[in-house]
Amino acid sequence: MTKQTFLHDRHIELGARMVDFAGWDMPVQYSSIIEEHKTVRENVGLFDVSHMGELIVHGEDALPFLNKIVPQNISKLVDKKAVYCQLPNKQGGLIDDLIIYKLEDKKYLIIANASRVDEDLNWMTRNQLGFNVEIENISHKYSLIAVQGPKACDLIMSLGENYLPPFFSIKRSELFNINVWLSRTGYTGEDGVEIMVKNEFAEYMWDKLLEAGKEYGIKPIGLGARDTLRLEAALHLYGNDLNEDTTPIEAGLGWSIPKDKEDDYNGKEVIMRQIKEGAGKKLIGFRMLDKSIARHEYEVYSNGEKVGFVTSGGVSPIRGENIGLAYVYPPLDNYNVGSTIQIMIREKLHDAEIVKLPFVAKRNKG
Amino acid sequence: MDENMLCTKTHEYVLGKNDKYEVGITDYAIEQLGDIVFVELPDINSEFSKGEVFATIESVKAASEIYMPISGKVVEVNEEIVNSPELLNDEAYAEKWLIKIESDADQVEFADLLDYSDYKEEVE
Repeated sequence: MTKQTFLHDRHIELGARMVDFAGWDMPVQYSSIIEEHKTVRENVGLFDVSHMGELIVHGEDALPFLNKIVPQNISKLVDKKAVYCQLPNKQGGLIDDLIIYKLEDKKYLIIANASRVDEDLNWMTRNQLGFNVEIENISHKYSLIAVQGPKACDLIMSLGENYLPPFFSIKRSELFNINVWLSRTGYTGEDGVEIMVKNEFAEYMWDKLLEAGKEYGIKPIGLGARDTLRLEAALHLYGNDLNEDTTPIEAGLGWSIPKDKEDDYNGKEVIMRQIKEGAGKKLIGFRMLDKSIARHEYEVYSNGEKVGFVTSGGVSPIRGENIGLAYVYPPLDNYNVGSTIQIMIREKLHDAEIVKLPFVAKRNKG
Repeated sequence: MDENMLCTKTHEYVLGKNDKYEVGITDYAIEQLGDIVFVELPDINSEFSKGEVFATIESVKAASEIYMPISGKVVEVNEEIVNSPELLNDEAYAEKWLIKIESDADQVEFADLLDYSDYKEEVE
C-alpha cells in the first residue's frame, strides 16, 4: 500500500500530479517543474518532505553509539547544532546519508532518507549491542515542511521569530502558536528552514505558510523541482549517487570526514585508507556540450572506452544547459575540470565537459 | 486538437492532410510529460514501420520514446519544435506536429487506432 503524508489532501486540492516515491504517494509537480525551480531560486518555495524519516537516539551511550556508526565526530557537536553524516557499513559502503542534530545531552535527532529508514533502523539495531541507547522511530508522528529560497528567512522572521537558528542548527519554536522544531537546513542550495511539526498540525501549518508567504511569492514545490534544485547544488541523492557499494571518499564527501577522529567506526579502515591512497572511483560533475540530456545509468566514455556511468542527470534551469553527476574509474587523474568525456545516449556518443561542483553556487551559509 | 485525428494507446496521433499525414503526440501526452526540454526527430526520407520508435521527447523528468502510429516515409520534420521544444507546452502554439509522412498503409494498420473522442474517454 502506498503511504500518504498528512498533507496528501492538500496536494490533490492544489492540482499536483502525484507519483510513487519510495513507497509514498508524493507530488512531483503542481504547475511546471521549471517554474517551480525558478520560484525557489528567486523567491520562496514550500515543500512537503514528510516522507523523510525522523529517528531519536537517546540514552547514556547515545554519543559513543553515534560515534561508532558515523565517520563524523559527534563529540564535537554542541547543543542544537547539526552535522551532515553518512552511515557506512563495515566496508565503507553507504547504507544512508543523514543529518544528525544534537537536541540536548544524550539526545539526538536523525533525519534519514525515506527509502532507507528501515535499513537504517535494522543496521543501527545490529550495532546497538553493548550500548545503553534507545532508537525510536518517530517518523509516523511528525510531518516535515521545508521553506526554501532567498526570501524564506524573511518569511519566517515575519511570523514573529526573534532570531533564526544559524546554518545547520535547530531550535524549538512556535509558529502560528504551534510548537515546532525549526532547523536551518534544506536540500536546494538556497537559504531556508525545515519545520518539524506534529502530524495533527501539518495542514494548518501548510495553509498558514502558503497564506503568509503570498507576499513573498511562495508556491508549493514538488519532488521534480526538488531533484533539479539539489542536482544544481550537487547534493547527493541516495539510490542515485550513493549506495552500499560506494564509500564517502568515492562520492566526493571527504570534506565531511574528520581525519583525526579517534573513535573506531564502521568502515573506518577502508575510508582512512582511501583518504591516503586514493579511491576506486570518483564522482565528477559534467555539462553536456549539446542539447542532449544525460540520465541515471547512461554510460560514460573516454577515448572510445567505457569508463563509468551517470548517476544523476538532467536539466539545469539556471545554467540553461544540461548537467549531470557520474562515477569514473581509474586512472582518476584523467578526469579533471575541463576534460572532455562522452555520454552514450540512445546509441550515440555526446560530448560533455567536466566542470567544478556545485553547478550553481550555494547561498545557504546563513 | 483536430477531431479527425486518430490516436494510439501510446498517445501518438496521425492526421491525414491532403496526400500526407501529420504525426505527433496528443495534448494529453504533452500535459502528462510536463516541461518538454528536448525533441529528437528522424532524418527526412527515413522510413519506419508501424510501432517503430521514430522520435524521442524528453521532459525534465524523463525521456520518452515516440512510436509510429502507421508506417511511412518522413517527408518533413518540425524544425521549429526541435529548436524550441518548449513550444509543445505553449497552448497558443498550433503547429504541434512532429513529422509529416507519406504512407501507403492499408486498413489493417488503421484498425487499432482510436477516434480522438474515444481516445479522450480512454485516458480520462
